Amino acid sequence: MQRRVPLEETAILCALCLVLLGGLAILGWGVPVAYVLHGWLIALAAGWGLMWMLNRLGETPAKVPLAYNDRVIRFGVVAALIWAIIGFAVGDILAWQLAFPALNGDMAWTNFGRLRPVHTSGVIFGFGGNALIATSFYVVQRTSRARLASETLPWLVFWGYNLFLVLAASGYPLGITQSKEYAEPEWYADLLLLVVWVGYLALYLKTLARRAEPHIYVANWYYLAFIVVIAMLHTVNNLSVPVSIAYPKSYSLFAGTQDAMTQWWYGHNAVGFLLTAGFLGMLYYFLPKAVNRPVYSYRMSIVGFWGITFLYLWAGSHHLHYTALPDWVQYLGMTMSIILLVPSWASVFNGILTINGAWDKVRTDPAVRFMMVAVLFYGLATFEGSFMAIRPVNSLSHYTDWTVGHVHAGALGWVAFITFGAMYKMVPWVWKREGVYSLKLEAWHFWLALSGTLIYVGAMWNSGITQSLMWQTYDADGAFLYSFLDSVVEMHPYYAARAVGGLLYLIGGCIGAYNIWMTVSGPKKAQTRQAGPIPRQPAE
Amino acid sequence: MTHDAVLVFSKTWGAVYLLVVFLAAVLWTYWPSRRRIYDDAAQSPLDGREDQPWQ
Repeated sequence: MQRRVPLEETAILCALCLVLLGGLAILGWGVPVAYVLHGWLIALAAGWGLMWMLNRLGETPAKVPLAYNDRVIRFGVVAALIWAIIGFAVGDILAWQLAFPALNGDMAWTNFGRLRPVHTSGVIFGFGGNALIATSFYVVQRTSRARLASETLPWLVFWGYNLFLVLAASGYPLGITQSKEYAEPEWYADLLLLVVWVGYLALYLKTLARRAEPHIYVANWYYLAFIVVIAMLHTVNNLSVPVSIAYPKSYSLFAGTQDAMTQWWYGHNAVGFLLTAGFLGMLYYFLPKAVNRPVYSYRMSIVGFWGITFLYLWAGSHHLHYTALPDWVQYLGMTMSIILLVPSWASVFNGILTINGAWDKVRTDPAVRFMMVAVLFYGLATFEGSFMAIRPVNSLSHYTDWTVGHVHAGALGWVAFITFGAMYKMVPWVWKREGVYSLKLEAWHFWLALSGTLIYVGAMWNSGITQSLMWQTYDADGAFLYSFLDSVVEMHPYYAARAVGGLLYLIGGCIGAYNIWMTVSGPKKAQTRQAGPIPRQPAE
Repeated sequence: MTHDAVLVFSKTWGAVYLLVVFLAAVLWTYWPSRRRIYDDAAQSPLDGREDQPWQ
């Protein structure tokens, strides 16, 4: 019997053919070895996807069950944890190298500039991105009471996204980078991500369209803002001209100040919409579930959403204070960053007050403790961020380790804590387990991660302020009192402390991965609860 | 259109625009008759509705 191929599958087939052709072109014409290898990877992945789809088209279609699609979520959780361990480990290796420079072994590929993006992409896009994709699939299905609207797209999104990550992380040590911070992958990887992201947006919107009730639960608003804005940022900031199909190198379409402004419009909104809006979506679903209480003020969560969405997009220029950027753009960014504190702290209070009445769970349930501390660090990091965006404060903090400390208060304390809290809840749900393997290990993970974060952030505050003061100390004649090297030597104890803090965080992450692995390989939940209404019994 | 003209426009109408959007969002959210929608939405993840997909 002839089967009609729906529009969606035709579009996916066309996209896969284009990706395959792109991969073949790169492996055929490419000159640098790493670039040719990437061509092979792209072609093999796209070819494998095509075979899979063609096989499925040949079969009679299996009936789509009336159940949530949790399989792709499980893949997402595992991928997130693998990237977390890679990202944390590379970050800590770099921390030790900064304290003891000889540890880089004098090899080109362990150069800080090549390894650092492996760390940043690994944790932000590998760990954070996979966690967002997995939890967004969970949340959109539950709150819409609908199965993911496609059987193919979730897999395209998952595998395509992780292929992008592999291209990124394997390219950096071999020198493939367009050297834009947090947007390092070159044009061919960017094009691949664009295809994946369009698929993600289509899937999310189609699933929302199948929802049971007219109102869309607020967590989806935040996830959707994350998906839409990342699509916009990624496309604009990566507009560039490749020099030739034979080389990975490309040049940005913008020049000078415009290029810098575009880059930090991108950079700060990656913080605002990937590291903030996406994880707020996670917070507004998993925290109420974990404490079994509704969001304290649902309406405030909506006003907060519009506040964050409208203000963040203007704040990026605070990364370029005292540069060639026009002054009014700098003041605009500074003003918007300060106002941004209001919706940020609205979410903080909303989170804390949601826990009100269930504080015993903070003591007994480490997952809730993770989420509670995440909210506190979110409050700390957003206050610090608004403060650092003020121009005179920025003249003190910019180019110092204070920035590094600020980023890690947000990334370690907020993003990773809310993710681990949500995962400890979601893993037993999607694998249908009674609960997490060991609450004791979960608590160990919590305390190791918290001490690691505090040591890290404390060390960077001290080193940042020290650097800044040393760079701005003048003698009676107005000459610098310290050379730059003096300040580098002074950093050693702080850098050693930072490496220890990072190590604690890494150990905590490994314990967390082990705990989740044991939960997954443990016994299934006994089928005691019946889904659906209880059958009526005749009166006796 | 000069740089200064754009600057004046964004300093005045930009501020008005943001204020209007803010007021619209607050009125839309806090309009008394819409209260039930949000109270119901806040409960939706907790009352067991989501155990099964509806279609």
